[in-house]
Amino acid sequence: MAQEGAAEPLRSPGTGNTWPGGRSSPTWTGLPTNLPDSVLDAGWNERTDDTPNDRHWKGQRLALLILLALIGVLVVAMTIRALADTPRIAAQWRIDSLGRIELAASSDPALGAHIGQALTGVMGPGDAVALPDTLALQRTPRWVVQDADRERQQATQLLLVNALASQSVRLFFADGSKLQLQPAPRGLAALPVATWLLGGIALALYMMAVLVVLRSASARNLVYAAMALCQAGNLLLMAAEIALEFGLPVPLLRWGMPLHMAFDLFTAAAMVTATCLHPRRLPGSGWIALCAWGAAIVLVAMFSAGALPSAWWWIQITVILVGGVGIGLLSWSYQIEPHPFAIVLRQFGIVTTTTWALLTIALAASDGLRSVPHNIADTGAAIWYVYLAALLLLVPFLARSQNVLREFALLAAVGTVAISLYLLFVAVFTLGQLPALTLSLFVSLGVYSAVRQWILSQLIGSSVLTTERMFEQLYRIAREVEARPERVPTLLSQLLSDLFEPLEVKVGDLRTRRSRVAGDGSSMLIPVPVLGGEESTPTQSILIRFAQRGRRLFTAEDARLTDRVVEQLRRAVHFDKAVEQGRHEERLRIAQDLHDDIGARLLTLMYKAQSPEMEDYVRHTLQDLKTLTRGLAASNHQLSHAAAEWKSDLSHRLTAAHVELKWVFEFDVDILLTVVHWSALTRILRELVSNAIAHSQAQQLEIDFRLLNDRLELTITDDGVGQDPHAWSHGLGLGGVRKRVKQLGGEVEWREVQPQGIRCRVVIRDLSARWQL
Amino acid sequence: MAVRVLIVEDNPVARSFLTRVVKESFSDALTITEAGDLESARRQIGPLGNVAAVADPFKLILVDLELPDGNGMELLAELGQYPATKIVTTLYSDDDHLFPALQCGADGYLLKEDRFEVLVEELQKIVRGQPPLSPAIARRLLTHFRSGSSGSGVVTTDPIPLSTGFQSSRPVPMGRGAPLDHERLTPRESEVLTYLSKGFTIKEIASLMGIKWFTVNDHIKSIYKKLNVSSRAEAAVLASKQGLV
Repeated sequence: MAQEGAAEPLRSPGTGNTWPGGRSSPTWTGLPTNLPDSVLDAGWNERTDDTPNDRHWKGQRLALLILLALIGVLVVAMTIRALADTPRIAAQWRIDSLGRIELAASSDPALGAHIGQALTGVMGPGDAVALPDTLALQRTPRWVVQDADRERQQATQLLLVNALASQSVRLFFADGSKLQLQPAPRGLAALPVATWLLGGIALALYMMAVLVVLRSASARNLVYAAMALCQAGNLLLMAAEIALEFGLPVPLLRWGMPLHMAFDLFTAAAMVTATCLHPRRLPGSGWIALCAWGAAIVLVAMFSAGALPSAWWWIQITVILVGGVGIGLLSWSYQIEPHPFAIVLRQFGIVTTTTWALLTIALAASDGLRSVPHNIADTGAAIWYVYLAALLLLVPFLARSQNVLREFALLAAVGTVAISLYLLFVAVFTLGQLPALTLSLFVSLGVYSAVRQWILSQLIGSSVLTTERMFEQLYRIAREVEARPERVPTLLSQLLSDLFEPLEVKVGDLRTRRSRVAGDGSSMLIPVPVLGGEESTPTQSILIRFAQRGRRLFTAEDARLTDRVVEQLRRAVHFDKAVEQGRHEERLRIAQDLHDDIGARLLTLMYKAQSPEMEDYVRHTLQDLKTLTRGLAASNHQLSHAAAEWKSDLSHRLTAAHVELKWVFEFDVDILLTVVHWSALTRILRELVSNAIAHSQAQQLEIDFRLLNDRLELTITDDGVGQDPHAWSHGLGLGGVRKRVKQLGGEVEWREVQPQGIRCRVVIRDLSARWQL
Repeated sequence: MAVRVLIVEDNPVARSFLTRVVKESFSDALTITEAGDLESARRQIGPLGNVAAVADPFKLILVDLELPDGNGMELLAELGQYPATKIVTTLYSDDDHLFPALQCGADGYLLKEDRFEVLVEELQKIVRGQPPLSPAIARRLLTHFRSGSSGSGVVTTDPIPLSTGFQSSRPVPMGRGAPLDHERLTPRESEVLTYLSKGFTIKEIASLMGIKWFTVNDHIKSIYKKLNVSSRAEAAVLASKQGLV
């Protein structure tokens, strides 16, 4: 098998590929064989430029595509044309209660007289054909269980064809009446709807195969194309078979069975090969694929040579076994790498294989029972093939939500189940037709809702995060982002992790304009928004892989949701900023007013003070006002800056009072003091120093400020005449100190020191504990 | 001949208080002129066209920042070439208010809520050439000169936060183009500023640097002058802006 990328070295893996239609979408079929461990390689970048070589190839591909599409349409059209030209008896037949072929309706007035009669034979110019049972109504030899029956059916059909090809046939009815008829071509308009439908689906599958291969002829794409083409062939054969009641054309009779068989077995083999290659290449994948293909080819060859007894059983069981192997391989693949795609494929694989097995059992059980209409086998099988075709059409778009197609596939699967169950109920439990039909419908509807839920949970997933929690988190992040814009990637990653529970989250320097699903739904790439600042292109992206711990695929809806979440985050940050700006302006205005009006009045009052005590009192008030207004206006103060001002201010005042200052200031982290801390500490220091100046008559004041391990210890020691601090009456000043220390969650005490003086000690254990006061 | 002093202050109580401070500070004969707003101050000063021609200029001018008809900085900016010691008297002690005033050419500042004796002492110091320099202003100066000397022609468009008033320690990028010699600080001056920004007193700085305290003072004076020269043009713009606010 050709190595991926060898044919087209310029192609970058994964997301860079484009469909011929120009859409850039990561698909199942476009993935590199080995997803690199470091997924943040250049390949994830959006490709912006096409090399001329590439464009050339694109043009060629387009021409090729049109050519192949024309061929496909031509083949289907010719088949339908041939069907329309095949001579037939213009009548519809059904099976009566005795298991005979009964005339149901006819547009021919001559035949109309015989409606309700059972057909017992047909006579052409040559042989007469006896129709003892309904085998002749079963159109395809593929779904005849017994070899003997199949041979008989083929022989009957051959005779019927010859009879119908002649100018006139005679029909014999059970009541002994005869009728001479001229078989005639029916024309396009009279072809049954099912023929058109199956032909259409076959064409769609063929086109899908062509598109996928033209996009890139990698091993996995070829395998996919093989499956799609086989199924397209199957469907086309069925389209032909379903159009003809009696008398399959000779080529169909001769080649129908081997072709069906080959298509089925090759599809199964290709399926195993696909699971070996995707979502990741499994060890020994070459051998496994070889075995599968070998078995398929041997079986087909043996049957063609007539050396395969009980061919039907061989096909059915081989397909079931191969399906089981595929499911096993997918489980293994998931253990190696938790790619959710493996799980989704496995679920579809289980549904497919189970319905196939059910169909097999039902047909085997009902075989030979007169009461069971034979042609229902055709219908059941046809529905199963339609299901498979829908699935094949769906697979390349699993990550984009193709709801309609998915529902259609599931409904088709359930249709198969319903028919199988109906056959089983009739055959095994010998129920009447009506109860069997009702019961099977009920059961299959139940199965449908269960399976639908089971499969959708992988694609859509239960909402892990309630909306409420997400909003809460969104606004929390918005606030945090405002304070620390550099943490956007980390915070957003956190939010996305909670939202999708991915196994891997990475931040890389990749540019993408909007969130997109990549690597087939296993990954999603989200641009890190530039929050707060001016609108600009994001330069970073977050890559999350394997949603819900690798149990779910990312879908296009997830990408849209993420984009909306990011947009909401942007708005929240914007809003918070505006609010903060408004608050800041408001505070500034209040501060300005306080300072200008009250400050000027206090100043006047101070100048007019009657006594020095009064003057000092007003001065302190004025200083407190200034601290207050400054606290209102400023947001944060760096500890070292605040300390410099404290020292400068205090030494200024102490020098004026002829007191010497000894200043020790130590800290391990230069923290940002909040306004609360800053103003509280400023006022504590000022009050204690004022107190010392006013009462102690000290020569020297020692201030020791330490902030180590978030523990603040402030001691102010004077060598003055103060004594017995416990007996002090705590007026406004010292009371204020106590209040503020308590506000910060600390303790304050005054003690006498030797030989003389007072030491005030303030301890705050966890300074940052009340950070957000 | 008496030394002429102009006090521009709208509050009459504060005006008389400052008059007392000025009278207490100097032993010379003084003629103190008072003005309640910018307009009367300008009238008192007279035409500024040819300063040298003014017969008897004011030797000392005290200007309040908040005046009924504008900001004192406007007057300071207009008085760029006026040969007087210009002192800002204000209630605002934060660098956001004081720094622009110093840029406008103030030779020092007095905080109006200080005690009478402190004010007298400070005023004497300023007139002697020992202007005060708070840690916050020192920090602003460092940023100012650093961005000036490392400017390398990058024009920053950050608005200068004059209208936001109280915010402290926000760097004001003033650097425009390559700095001239007189716009650059000497290493010693930088050192002095760094110490000042950390809250050291002049005496402490002198002992730390192993120089005399008056040498430290000379450095501070020189820094004032450089600030004044380097930002005179911008200060004029600033002042007019401030006046509009």
